[in-house]
Amino acid sequence: MGLRNFFDRIEPHFVNGGKWERYFPVYEMVESFLYTPKTVTTAAPHARSYVDMKRIMTYVVLATIPCILMALYNTGYQTNIAIGEYGPSGWRAAIIEALGIGFNPANPLANMLHGLLYFLPIYIVTLVAGGIFEVIFATVRRHEVNEGFLVSSMLYALILPATTPLWQVALGIIFGVVIGKEVFGGTGKNFLNPALTGRAFLYFAYPAQLSGDSVWVPVDGFTGATALAVSAADGFQELAGRGMTWWDSFLGFVPGSLGETSTLAALLGLAFLLATKIANYRMVVGCLGGMIVFSLLLNWIGSDTNPMFAMPWYWHLVLGGYAFGLVFMVTEPVSGAHTNLGRYIYGALIGFMVVMIRVINPAFPEGMMLAILFGNVFAPLIDYFVVQANIRRRARRNV
Amino acid sequence: MSENNTENRNGQDTEAKFTPEMNPPDRDLPAPEGEVVTSKGFLRRFLDTPADNTAKTMVVALGLCFVASMIVSAAAVSLRPLQEQNAALDKQVNIVQVAGLYEDGIDVAETFEAFEPHVLELATGEFTDQFDPYQFDDRAAADDVTLSAPLDDDPANIGRQANYVTVYLLRNEDGSLDKVILPVYGYGLWSTLYGFIAVEEDGNTIYGLQFYEHAETPGLGAEVDNPRWKALWNDKLLRTDDGKGELAITVAKTAPPAGEDYHIDALSGATLTSRGVDNLIRFWMSERGFEPFLERVRAGEI
Amino acid sequence: MAQTYRTMLVDPMVDNNPITLQVLGICSALAVTSSLQVAMVMTIAVTLVTGFSSMFISVLRSQIPSSIRIIVQMIIIASLVIVVDQVLKAYAYEISKTLSVFVGLIITNCIVMGRAEAFAMKNPPFASFVDGVGNGLGYGLILMLVGFIREFLGSGSVFGITVLQTVNNGGWYVPNGLLLLPPSAFFIIGLIIWAFRSWKPEQVEDREYRIQTVEAH
Repeated sequence: MGLRNFFDRIEPHFVNGGKWERYFPVYEMVESFLYTPKTVTTAAPHARSYVDMKRIMTYVVLATIPCILMALYNTGYQTNIAIGEYGPSGWRAAIIEALGIGFNPANPLANMLHGLLYFLPIYIVTLVAGGIFEVIFATVRRHEVNEGFLVSSMLYALILPATTPLWQVALGIIFGVVIGKEVFGGTGKNFLNPALTGRAFLYFAYPAQLSGDSVWVPVDGFTGATALAVSAADGFQELAGRGMTWWDSFLGFVPGSLGETSTLAALLGLAFLLATKIANYRMVVGCLGGMIVFSLLLNWIGSDTNPMFAMPWYWHLVLGGYAFGLVFMVTEPVSGAHTNLGRYIYGALIGFMVVMIRVINPAFPEGMMLAILFGNVFAPLIDYFVVQANIRRRARRNV
Repeated sequence: MSENNTENRNGQDTEAKFTPEMNPPDRDLPAPEGEVVTSKGFLRRFLDTPADNTAKTMVVALGLCFVASMIVSAAAVSLRPLQEQNAALDKQVNIVQVAGLYEDGIDVAETFEAFEPHVLELATGEFTDQFDPYQFDDRAAADDVTLSAPLDDDPANIGRQANYVTVYLLRNEDGSLDKVILPVYGYGLWSTLYGFIAVEEDGNTIYGLQFYEHAETPGLGAEVDNPRWKALWNDKLLRTDDGKGELAITVAKTAPPAGEDYHIDALSGATLTSRGVDNLIRFWMSERGFEPFLERVRAGEI
Repeated sequence: MAQTYRTMLVDPMVDNNPITLQVLGICSALAVTSSLQVAMVMTIAVTLVTGFSSMFISVLRSQIPSSIRIIVQMIIIASLVIVVDQVLKAYAYEISKTLSVFVGLIITNCIVMGRAEAFAMKNPPFASFVDGVGNGLGYGLILMLVGFIREFLGSGSVFGITVLQTVNNGGWYVPNGLLLLPPSAFFIIGLIIWAFRSWKPEQVEDREYRIQTVEAH
């Protein structure tokens, strides 16, 4: 293990008193990324668990793999379909042409490669821009660079549209890392989800491109409304007329942000997260329940002027970012509620808000991101009341 | 946290300078030396009365209210003419702008002299002499039950429509009609948009559209104020077939069947504001809006 | 005098800034900072009101009955605000339309009231005037800073003069729409407070509690 030796040899320079003491976080980041951390808990009590922070974060990244694969495939697929109509444009198309792969949407490999040319630059820019700020804060604040950033950056890349300009990608993740996490003290102290904070920043800063109004297919000349915008204008029945079926949405063969089109891929990730007990099922149950109950209620109330009222819950589930947000954002342990009862309430609040924003707010066709951030803000309050209720209940029992 | 801080800091600098002479404590009566009291005038005696005396409290309160109300009303009354002039000028600027006569540094009031205001009865398209066009208040009329009617089918989302509105005519040197300036309004995404549309003497070609009041999202819906977008309206046509056909003017992403001459590209990212503008233009240009009047314009009757 | 006039004027700029240290007057700082011109008019209005209200209150301070002193201060402040509002409507109509109710809301601005109660009630007129002007300018400094950032990055212009040609007008700059929305002022003021306190650590408040650390054994 030459690499291990190398780390052992340079370590003295980074620990207290070494000449590069200031840069310990950078050393630690690289070292612990490659090797299991050597530190062990010293203070009592000792709870034995193999699940440390690093493992949790690694598992979440693993859980996103189906979504990443779908992101690559579907982005390429949608782009290739559009190219068939409007012709190729941009440097990515030029690379594909140079490689002689072609733009056949029926060819999975061509789709994957084309998708990769969109996903990879976004992901790399996210890692570099966000990583630089992570390291700056770690160095100044003398804390360690956390694996949490790997998760945040992956989720952030997956919820961006393929059309996002790279400078906006960088700006968004920097905002997410700094305002969403570091100003509050870093991983574990962030009350907002950093990936969503970055996305929300872009959403409000560059709404013409990113508000979820028109679809994000990266081909010049392509315009069209997202499934949610169509439903808001003409009702979900109209979707069939535009060639969008429920199964397409469920499997993810519809235009949308990179990784959030496929409900199936997100559910696979959810199964993995629930099996490994990283995601708490209570939040998922709450969020599904809130969404289903409220959309049924709206179906029942009905509205003459707003066709969104009639949207059934199984459409809410597969459209937009609901499934992806449910699996990877709602279940995020730090920014969510921490009490068991609170988790149900927290989930239900988000489920309710999603439908509320989608149906009743005319300005925002999609509501998942805003609903989760809203839930994040309320999570500590929910916990507070749950704890207080518990204290009162126990006090009554032991008068 | 912050409040503590403030108090501490303020506490320090105030306590350091607090001197008892400034607010004499517990002196119920004027100074005990009788001879000094008699030599003081009325004002002096009043000022020396302790501030917490009930009678003095009343006097101070009333006096202050009196002085303050004098100052405030003096300011309001003396500045009223200027303010009214400003409000009128504000509206005139918009009319002058939509007619394309505005340049930096012109005397707006003087340019506005060229416009001929008329109160129009919408249903007939005839001018009416019932009201003074210089005094008629369109907005008040739309709320006045005797001058307006509720709308059942209400695409512009305005609730009630006034029976009378003020329109402005701009004539050429020889007295022939150049443009008509018509007020339009309707609901966008967050707010009612108020504006003017200028139509050429043929009663069918749009010269320009301008909103002067709205509260749409900055950067998206508020781009209705963008000169580049406003320029799109120039030379578009309201109706097909030289004004005799269908109302075809549309604000949308894609052109209507009638063609590009009737199409204004929607604002990017502002679907609902664009739809609002589309609705309000189509409403006001329809038979329920200015069509009876525009028909007369086309016939050359104005 | 415990303080010189100079320190009274300069102190509220950074060391005792009403917005960044005392966190007062945030409401109007959100609403009127989307363009520099408006922020500047607001600065002038607040500075005048704080200065003159402090002065008048100081002149009357030994005559103001303590039982109704808050009301008396409010009357003086409110009268001044109304006069300012009327003057703006007469001479700067466009800007007064943009400022709308926020001129009227200067009455409720904690800075004006705070200086009246904390300083003017106990100090001579001229000192109170200087103190009021200083605090108004300290408020204005932050307002202008926020206004500059919001207008420059949000519309690509400074004082209404285009600096960065925006995409919608055929240029290259994609304006940041978030900065045109009032909540963005929260972020900016937060970042300014952060910067101020990094520069002058003595402004950092004491922690309300400490997390106990257990020593390893």
